[in-house]
Amino acid sequence: MSETFNLPPLEIDQYTLANGLRVVLNRDAAVPVVAIAVYYDVGSRNEREGRTGFAHLFEHMMFQGSANVKKAEHFQYVMKAGGTMNGTTSSERTNYYETLPSNQLPLGLWLESDRMRSLAVTQENLDNQREAVKEEKRLRYDNQPYGQIFDLINEMIYRNFANSHSTIGSMEHLDDATVEDVQEFFRIYYAPNNAVLVLSGAFEPAEAKQLVETYFGDIPSQPAPPALDVREPKEVAETFKEWEDKLAPFPAFLLGWKIPPRRSPEFYALYLAGKLLYDGESSRLYQKLVKGEESIIQLFGFTDERRGPSSIFVGAIPKPEKDLSKIRETIMKEIQQIAVEGPTADEVQKLHNQLFNDTVRMRQSSQSRAQQIAEFALYDGDPTLINSELEQLLAVTPEQIRYAADQYLNNENRALLDVIPAGIG
Amino acid sequence: MTVAIRKTAPEPLAPKPFNISQAFQTTLENGLRIVIFEDDRLPLISYRLAFFSGDVNDPDDAGGLTSAMAAMLTEGTRNYTSLALAEKIERLGANISVSSSDDFTIVAASALSLYSSDILDLMSEIVFQPTFPEGELDLYKRNTVENLKFQRSQPGFLANEQTARLLYGGHPYAKISPTPEDIEKLSRKALVDFHKQKLLPDNAVFVVVGDVRRDEQVKEIEENFGNWQMGDFEAAKFLEPPMRNELTLTIVDRPGSAQSNIVLANIGLDRNNPDFFPATVMNQVLGAGASSRVFMNLREEKGYTYGAYTKLDAKRLAGDFEATAEVRTSVTGDSLKEFFYELNRIRDEKVSEEELADSKNFLTGVFPIRAETQEGLTNLILSQQLYNLADDYLQTYRDNIDAVTVDEVERVAKKYVTPEKMAIVIVGDAEEILPQVRQYVKNIEIFDTEGKPKDVSEYGANSPGEFAQVAGKWNLLLDFQGQQLPVSLILDQTGDTVSGKLETMLGNGEIANGKIKGKKLSATAAAEMQGKTVEFVISASVDGVSMMGAISTPIVPEPLSFTGTRDEKL
Repeated sequence: MSETFNLPPLEIDQYTLANGLRVVLNRDAAVPVVAIAVYYDVGSRNEREGRTGFAHLFEHMMFQGSANVKKAEHFQYVMKAGGTMNGTTSSERTNYYETLPSNQLPLGLWLESDRMRSLAVTQENLDNQREAVKEEKRLRYDNQPYGQIFDLINEMIYRNFANSHSTIGSMEHLDDATVEDVQEFFRIYYAPNNAVLVLSGAFEPAEAKQLVETYFGDIPSQPAPPALDVREPKEVAETFKEWEDKLAPFPAFLLGWKIPPRRSPEFYALYLAGKLLYDGESSRLYQKLVKGEESIIQLFGFTDERRGPSSIFVGAIPKPEKDLSKIRETIMKEIQQIAVEGPTADEVQKLHNQLFNDTVRMRQSSQSRAQQIAEFALYDGDPTLINSELEQLLAVTPEQIRYAADQYLNNENRALLDVIPAGIG
Repeated sequence: MTVAIRKTAPEPLAPKPFNISQAFQTTLENGLRIVIFEDDRLPLISYRLAFFSGDVNDPDDAGGLTSAMAAMLTEGTRNYTSLALAEKIERLGANISVSSSDDFTIVAASALSLYSSDILDLMSEIVFQPTFPEGELDLYKRNTVENLKFQRSQPGFLANEQTARLLYGGHPYAKISPTPEDIEKLSRKALVDFHKQKLLPDNAVFVVVGDVRRDEQVKEIEENFGNWQMGDFEAAKFLEPPMRNELTLTIVDRPGSAQSNIVLANIGLDRNNPDFFPATVMNQVLGAGASSRVFMNLREEKGYTYGAYTKLDAKRLAGDFEATAEVRTSVTGDSLKEFFYELNRIRDEKVSEEELADSKNFLTGVFPIRAETQEGLTNLILSQQLYNLADDYLQTYRDNIDAVTVDEVERVAKKYVTPEKMAIVIVGDAEEILPQVRQYVKNIEIFDTEGKPKDVSEYGANSPGEFAQVAGKWNLLLDFQGQQLPVSLILDQTGDTVSGKLETMLGNGEIANGKIKGKKLSATAAAEMQGKTVEFVISASVDGVSMMGAISTPIVPEPLSFTGTRDEKL
């Protein structure tokens, strides 16, 4: 199967501007659309103690206007051009992106370069966005059933502060922030030499390069940001915690394990073990718990991919009256079985076909290509990894999956968060 | 770069054309329509076998039958158990799912194109050989009942449930979800029979988009689906959605809710209505996006909410227009005010040429982005088939959007946005909401989250400084020299001002100077009686649905006392 499946490599053209901005062009003219992705090498991992939530606050500030783009005009310009856009913050990076009709490439580059060069970091914008972030925290974390469980379990998994604290951060820390703090953060982290710019879609390469140089070429570079240490001991920080959730209608639990960094052989093996456990209706846990025991309403699982120590999660919302410890036993038994016997031949075939399928589907949209390329460029310094990652995943052996499950998905390395409904009802 | 270049937004480059070719179409002898679009960008295939029969075609006494049948098609077939089927599909890295909506039932599959034959085999197995195993049906019923219960904790579901009921009346669109009782009643036999009757080739279309060859696909579909017998699909007849004559408010009470989910809705247009393009542009100006008026007002200027939008839901048989937002409870009334401002403005004032151009640019610009992925393209082609749109619909879509004028936007706004007759639904804390909204709407009903009606007069009793709510028809008995004479008050209320009518056996009069202070009602009425104008002075005390007081008039020496109750049915 893998021998007969040939996917032509994506066209990747990478270069660096004099000011250090890394640029990657991926031309694909199938549809007259262009995707722009700007990734800054700053996420919650870069925040110091007492200053959490800055990376995310900054994502908001980036829509508050710059020298030539007024407050809130950014999305107006994009929408009026027939485009879509957004920005997000994770532990690893802050990204900004637009998808536009291909003839609006200059507009996208103008908008992104103006805020990289001249963001309006004013007291008024800071005050205003601090409040917006607080409202967002209320809405998305404090006021949602199960809204805080991932932040809580990260504190249980990681010992290193850089890894363990949440992206939304502390509202007190945001209140303490001065305009000078924020300006300094911008100067250090939002410099061209700390960012990657990716264009994917229907453009003429020479014209695109010229436009990139015109808009970004003379933004001054800055000294490199301070070095970062994200190392962790192997064991999780805390193995058990109960959390009373006022909004949760049902009890639930979340299991988390600390695992090696993204793109390590162990990470790949555990990513595949995870797919076998919780991905799709034929997955082991779906068949055991949703079918079989009929004990749960909802099953979920995923890997949190980081440049440093990463993690893998399995969670469930059981049906009323079901014994949570018995459900966890079933989960651990299935993991144990993978750790002893490894995946079956059928499962390996399934994984390979799913990997082909995922890889091809990811390529369909210019924006998803741009984002994936940006990650490889920023994290690994090599955007062409987008063309070889599939091979690396296919090369993972059943024995590697077995061994990684045995080594990492055990009780010593596991954090369990028990969610107890504590509503008034 | 010179600073001057940076100052203003750059001009676009020359536009690149976006041409979608028309799909190939053919029909098998049994009436199954086949639509094939060859897309060789990537080695993928997407299939949609769609039936023109959906939840609206549930038998009257078997709600949820269509959605149950759809869900159960993949839970066991003659050759595969539910697990074996899931394994077989996922081992190909593929996906096959079946779902029903109001109007359609759709078998959807996507895979690597090298597995296209395997997928067609599996689709025919699912469509022709389902066994509806009892054990799987039981599990489906139990899980669905749990989910239906869980839905009631979601304010969005509660808002949609009431909105559909109010707008669609006796039309099946009024029901957005089966009841737990419907689900309990489902039987294997009903599914088996229904499956035979409803999944007919001459009531279906098979859409293929992907890296395949047309002639081979026709051949393979014919092999798999050619022996399928035609049937008699009877198009059902439904009641028209009711005419709405007035503004109403329906509150779903969720005590303690931090937010109010607001919906303002009226009947709009079906998907085949020729006004679809101007209405789409009008809706874009008004509220479809994050640069539309409603969003700019309620979120950007007022900060009431994270998002406020309008949408046109144009379905096969009818459609609706809705304005929605989730706002902080304390600004529920203020949000209604801003919604009304925007809903009236789009009707009363012509939109500017610039706003019109911006909205059209957005709609024409995102069109290619929607067609970028095979899933996106497939869904566009499928909609064209499902709604029986013109053959060149996708090719002319952007031209049709571009052709919309300011005058057409005004015309469709007046036609499809009718704030004076809307159904308002608010899910939130009724005690907190009521005092904020009474000045905007008089006709108010309240439900609990189970959908049971509550007595409106039970609310607001403990709030000092509040005034009684008297809107409605009051049946009063007047004590006249030992006789009980029936008299009616038909009252409207705006804030503390009351208007309406006094009806007596001798004649009727218009209420004037009507005021509410706390629980006290005072008003005058002038009635024509036997050719003369007679003045009445009314004073009364209101307690929920009962009222007591007196009417004085120059034609009798003493005030006449009365008691009575409100007829809530009005």
